[in-house]
Amino acid sequence: MFDPVDDLIERIARHLRRPVQIDPALDGRVMREITALPTPGGATALGKAWRWLRRPHQLTLTPLGGLAAAAALAVVVFLSRMDRTPSPAPRAESRVFQFVLVAPRATRISLVGDFNDWDATRTPMRRAGSEALWTAVVPLAPGRYHYAFLVDGSRWLADPSAPVARDEDYGAPSSVVTVGAGGGDS
Amino acid sequence: MTRAFIRMAVPLLAAMLVAGHAAAQQIDPRLERLDATTRPTVAAVIDSARTAMLPTEPLVQRALEGATKRASGEMIVAAVRRLAVDLGHARESLGSTASGAELTAGAAALRAGASQTILTELRRTRREPLTVPLAVLADLVSSGVPVDSAAAAVLSLAKRARDGDLIEFRRAVERDIALGAPPAAATAAAATATAQSVDVNAGARQQRPGRP
Repeated sequence: MFDPVDDLIERIARHLRRPVQIDPALDGRVMREITALPTPGGATALGKAWRWLRRPHQLTLTPLGGLAAAAALAVVVFLSRMDRTPSPAPRAESRVFQFVLVAPRATRISLVGDFNDWDATRTPMRRAGSEALWTAVVPLAPGRYHYAFLVDGSRWLADPSAPVARDEDYGAPSSVVTVGAGGGDS
Repeated sequence: MTRAFIRMAVPLLAAMLVAGHAAAQQIDPRLERLDATTRPTVAAVIDSARTAMLPTEPLVQRALEGATKRASGEMIVAAVRRLAVDLGHARESLGSTASGAELTAGAAALRAGASQTILTELRRTRREPLTVPLAVLADLVSSGVPVDSAAAAVLSLAKRARDGDLIEFRRAVERDIALGAPPAAATAAAATATAQSVDVNAGARQQRPGRP
């Protein structure tokens, strides 16, 4: 006797028993994909930190903790401001100032003062026109500066055309130049 | 998460505080010109001034001036200390908003013999920066003008005179003294002339059309 249902089952079973043809390159492709996946234990500390920084986080703070953080920030700001001394006027306000000395016998003269760290090598004066006249030009921001002329590396001279520095502490004479903010110089 | 934050933030803040403190403690390399004994003492004075929010540059310059003039270490330390004290007194008189230049000029005026009251009165009188009035006051006293006369003249001019007017005033006084005038009389005469000149100029400025 012929049973159509048995025949159908038999045909399906035959189909399923057939060996499956797999692409020989499949293994290689799968292994490549796996290698490309990030390994949870193998990331560097830098990579972890970068991912942590990019990920959104929820921050919960007690009011006391918030106040402590704010106080710490205020201390940092205060300390950083403490390092900043009242600064001189911006360079944009500086004006060029010419210093002149008549010294016929001098062979070299330096202008030294509060504006060049009292460094005798920084502002050498030059002869101008006659042999006796020495000049130097210095940009000065508004303020009051002590200065003097160092003649031939050993002799100190005050500027005869400027006020004498009364608050001189070291015995050698100094002069004073005051530069005003609104165009006044002396 | 809070613990994680605190674990990260606390060391960070501590590091910032230590770094800031270390920066403040760092000795200015320009002070290398001082001898090894003088340098730390001067640096300590400068650190104290910085902590007191005083300008440190004038102190550095005063130390460098001593080094260039080959003064002894004791003289340099004494000079820097004295200037730091004067700067502190100037700040007391001129207020915490005074600029470094104002404090330096104020210290010079105090050293010349002006009282702290005069500095405070100048601050109250004049809105513009006080660097030039204070410097003129110190310079007049250096020229032999009695402190009271110099202070009275500068105070009378400070409200309306510009920096340039005050400089011209000081030059006029010095010129008259050089010509033989008694310093106090020369100061009074020059102050009167300068005040008149300031009034005339102010009037001319007010009459200029189109001026806001």
